[in-house]
Amino acid sequence: MVSETRKESPSLMPQKDNLWYKDAVIYQLHVRTFCDSNADGIGDFAGLTQRLDYLQELGITAIWLLPFYPSPLRDDGYDIADYTSVHGSYGSLEDFKTFLAEAHRRGLRIIIEMVLNHTSDQHPWFKEARSSRDNPRRDWYVWSDTDTRYQGVPIVFVDTETSNWAWDPISKSYYWHRFFSHQPDLNFDNPAVFEAVWEVMKFWLNLGVDGFRLDAVAYLVEREGTLCENLPETHAIIRELRRRLDLAYPGAMLLAEANQWPADVRAYFGDGDEFHAAFHFPLMPRMFMAVKLEDRKPIIEILDQTPEIPDSCQWFIFLRNHDELTLEMVTDVERDYMYDEYAMDRTMRINRGIRRRLAPMMDNDRRRIELLNGLLMSMPGTPIVYYGDEIGMGDNIYLGDRNGVRTPMQWNSALNAGFSLADPERLYAPVISNAVYGYQAVNADSQNRSEHSLLRWMKSLLEVRNAFQVFSRGTIQFLNPSNHRVLAYMRQFGGETVLVVNNLSSSAQAVELDVQRYKGYIPIEMFGRNLFPRFGNVPYLLTLGPYQFYWFQLRRI
Amino acid sequence: MAEDVFLSDDLLRQLMSVGEVDLLVGMSSHNAANTVSHALDAIEESFQRNFVRQRVVIVHVGGGDKDEDGVVAKGHGNLAETGLRLPGITSLRTSHRVTANVPDPPSRGIALRTILAAADLLRARACAVVSPGVSNLTPDSIASLLRPVYREKFDFAAPLYARNKYQGLLARNLLYPMSRALFGCGIRELFSDEWGFSGRLASLCLNQDVWHEEAIQARPEAWMAVSAISSDFRCCQAFLGEKPQAAKGLGTDIVEVLRQTVGTLFWCLETQQSWWWDCGRSQPAPAFGPDHELTADPTDLDRHRIFEMFRSGVTELEPILSSILDPETHSEIKSIVSREEGKFRFKSDIWVRTLYDFAASYHHAVINRDHLVQALAPLYRGMTYSFLVEHSDSSPADMEAASELLCGEFELQKPYLMERWKAKIEVKS
Amino acid sequence: MRETILRALREVYGNLVHMIAEFLPRFLVMLIIIVIGLLVAFVLKYILRALLGVTKLDRVSDDAGASRVLRMAHLPPMTELLSRSIFWVTWIGFILVGLSVLGVAGLQEQISRLFQFLPEVFVAMLILFLGAVIANFLSRTALLAAVNAGHPSPKILSWSIRFVVWILAISMTMEELGVARQTVISAFSIIFGASMLGLAIAFGLGGQDLARKCLERYLGDTKKKEDKEPQPL
Repeated sequence: MVSETRKESPSLMPQKDNLWYKDAVIYQLHVRTFCDSNADGIGDFAGLTQRLDYLQELGITAIWLLPFYPSPLRDDGYDIADYTSVHGSYGSLEDFKTFLAEAHRRGLRIIIEMVLNHTSDQHPWFKEARSSRDNPRRDWYVWSDTDTRYQGVPIVFVDTETSNWAWDPISKSYYWHRFFSHQPDLNFDNPAVFEAVWEVMKFWLNLGVDGFRLDAVAYLVEREGTLCENLPETHAIIRELRRRLDLAYPGAMLLAEANQWPADVRAYFGDGDEFHAAFHFPLMPRMFMAVKLEDRKPIIEILDQTPEIPDSCQWFIFLRNHDELTLEMVTDVERDYMYDEYAMDRTMRINRGIRRRLAPMMDNDRRRIELLNGLLMSMPGTPIVYYGDEIGMGDNIYLGDRNGVRTPMQWNSALNAGFSLADPERLYAPVISNAVYGYQAVNADSQNRSEHSLLRWMKSLLEVRNAFQVFSRGTIQFLNPSNHRVLAYMRQFGGETVLVVNNLSSSAQAVELDVQRYKGYIPIEMFGRNLFPRFGNVPYLLTLGPYQFYWFQLRRI
Repeated sequence: MAEDVFLSDDLLRQLMSVGEVDLLVGMSSHNAANTVSHALDAIEESFQRNFVRQRVVIVHVGGGDKDEDGVVAKGHGNLAETGLRLPGITSLRTSHRVTANVPDPPSRGIALRTILAAADLLRARACAVVSPGVSNLTPDSIASLLRPVYREKFDFAAPLYARNKYQGLLARNLLYPMSRALFGCGIRELFSDEWGFSGRLASLCLNQDVWHEEAIQARPEAWMAVSAISSDFRCCQAFLGEKPQAAKGLGTDIVEVLRQTVGTLFWCLETQQSWWWDCGRSQPAPAFGPDHELTADPTDLDRHRIFEMFRSGVTELEPILSSILDPETHSEIKSIVSREEGKFRFKSDIWVRTLYDFAASYHHAVINRDHLVQALAPLYRGMTYSFLVEHSDSSPADMEAASELLCGEFELQKPYLMERWKAKIEVKS
Repeated sequence: MRETILRALREVYGNLVHMIAEFLPRFLVMLIIIVIGLLVAFVLKYILRALLGVTKLDRVSDDAGASRVLRMAHLPPMTELLSRSIFWVTWIGFILVGLSVLGVAGLQEQISRLFQFLPEVFVAMLILFLGAVIANFLSRTALLAAVNAGHPSPKILSWSIRFVVWILAISMTMEELGVARQTVISAFSIIFGASMLGLAIAFGLGGQDLARKCLERYLGDTKKKEDKEPQPL
């Protein structure tokens, strides 16, 4: 297939492009899960480095690494005990540097986690802070003699925590934690905290990382009488960070993790002077809902509510990630519906969400998996592919917390799915081995060898997507045909126009599209490059098979 | 020869876009923009409050729905996605409104046929027909009609109302007991402006070749109920609250009402003879909500006038009645006509025999059938007068007991009807 | 003389034989035509009966009240009546044709005149019959409407309508038959016109108060009836 390449080949070291994140296709992984090079049962940077060719061939352009810092690992690494090092299980700082260089050599940018809101209670900062009330770092955290401050603030991890305050037996006082009790919140009212965090970020930026995902950014600041989220002071902190970043490290990106309504997330873009990008959390469950309902309504509604953002900013969109499929940004009716349709077994539910992977949620229906990936790649925003979803990996809901979606990557049908040469009992988590999703049936090697595998299909999907900037930077205009089972929209950027038509239904559908304003254009199906009849004066009739979608490039010749 | 095609291409195109649905609510109107808008909103709200996960559609058969100022009803279009947003209510799915535009006021039969066709093509599981003119149309009443069909798998849901004890005397003294006795199913409101039904009943009725019949054009709901009963489908009743008052000038002309109701009932007897002939004792139709309620609110009725019209009617129509009624029945009626107003009572057994004579004469077409039904009007007035006098101080419980006795009388005298039905007609000069 | 008588007798005998010889074939032809006519009439009768059965004419006749009229006249139902009529008309036609074959002087002319008159007779009978049916139907309609509307004199209204329709039907019948045509037309016109004029004058001028009261009462009765009768459904 001939690609109409509009940018430089991704095999080259990326040129200075301060808006690279808008055109990126992100691959999210945890180094622990990907590849083990030293047979200790835990993935490491050396192993990840070995697999960079796979990622490059897949077509992704950036890697988002989940936390790899030294940590007690009580929250999968989000409880950081040392910000400027690498957990020994994953290798050394040198290993990381090697990985970074190799990634850049392949044109892959690297985004790392930066947890600003809290640390592990094993972090030296907290150890010092709790040692006595007079310690210089005491004020680096939020302390109280009672647990009555900030009443009414919701608890995030409702399944495990009963309060946002935890009692410290050492300093005999309470400390504030929005997440687990072993993750005390840093006090950003203390300028020293900000400076310390900035130093940490500089450390990694100097090594060459291309961006940060700032975790739990909404909760940085607390104020009485509020929900302690999205406060103006938080935005001030972000603006300052951004200012320093742009000055010293132009092209580095800040990505906000703010699980809020789009209108509330909008504030985190500022006037283009806060975050470069933010996740569009509410869109994600609605894509799943739309496919189950066979109705485009949820998607249309949420995107209609999504405000405009500055030109330099970008929404990041995704189907699944390392956490549960969050159902916080839906109504009670919608949540009940999602539970009933996707998580009938209560074991699948956690923290107002669903802890399952994409393929099992789609009942391993290839068509639906393709449809959802097609939506992901054609909707406005930067798409994120969660590791393993490109081959349709399954999950293990019987592992605790959200570990069921963090199982070892399945490379081949050999021992431990090719992830590690260690004894299976030594693996950080068991590989998936059931008859449907087990590594014998689902693995990268077999799919690479099969011409019509999901992996091959994903590669071709990304190839087409990467060839057209209209997907990453274009506007979106919904066509809203009378058949509500069909989601159709136009993407436009510069001189490019693409028509995307998706059948959300399990049955064949006919749809008449109102494209008279594009009269005279020739639709060219973008995967096979076949011509379709020209648009005329009458509504354009299309028929689609179950869960089928079309991408048409419109050309006027 | 190709079958008649009555679904327009435009309507078909709209239905194609809607696809399969779980619930369908249909209504028809003409030049009633304000009431149509209200009805559409009530239906939409019912969907969003009670059936949030179901695939739904509203089918509106009508046209020219302009209000007094000539403005077309808001939201009224061919195929529209409804934009009703209710505070605190999540609507999961797209809700469609399909409109079948007809140039002339659609008869109830044509409207129903269109709605049934839509239900059949969309494979709707549960349907309801409502009337925009009904004053008590609320989201809850619509849900009450749909729920028994959708959730409890009934095929027909007739409404039940709370009535004033002097309301609905035709239904109470004729339509209900007669249909119950003959068809074996105790549905009180056989004739109404709103009812629910299943998709499979819709398909059954749609495929019957009766759409040209006058009875279907006037009051198709009774025929649907009788079709359901005679096909052994499950029927029930759903309480909808207070019976809405008929709009001024509608439903109060007794002759017209008799034409539509009794005429339809007699026609049903004709067409479903094989069912009711062998039908055993009646069974009560299950009720959802209160069985029905009677209130004893006072009412202002001119009894003297009713009696006078009865007496003069029986006298003046003697030649006609003699060709309809059995001689014995006729002579009994003539004897009670001669009594004083205060002493007049129309006994149940005479009333039942009268109705059965009319039914049998309708079957034999001794005179023009429309004339036959009209001739019943004075006798109905007599029954009404007698009822008003007898139950002026009765409690609702007493009236209910009397109603049950009347139902029993109808069942008891069913052999009499069968005998008259089979008898050869004699020429009367 | 004996020879003359014998010769005359032989001549007469010969003429008689000759006449019989000439008459017999025609007679036979007549019989054949009559028999064929009988067969054709039967076939037509059954065909018509079947066709009318499909069109449900008896039901229409019942609804129109014609069946009752027929029963009163001890006539069979409409389908049977028409079938038998077509039988007799056909057979009589064949009989007449057969008779015409006989060649009897003068008979042919009379038969021809009869044939010419038959359609008028048929039409006249039809007019009369329809008139009876319509009179019956309209008078009953009026009676029922008047009774149910509470009109003070429903029978008078009913009989008036019946009378008018009968007069019209009889006039048209006689005109069709050509009986005192001018007299009938004139008489009907005079009576009908005078009646209408009289009614108009009586009602519009002489009875304007009554007219007003009737209208008021009608409109008032309608309203009262709506308010004072219980809602039936």
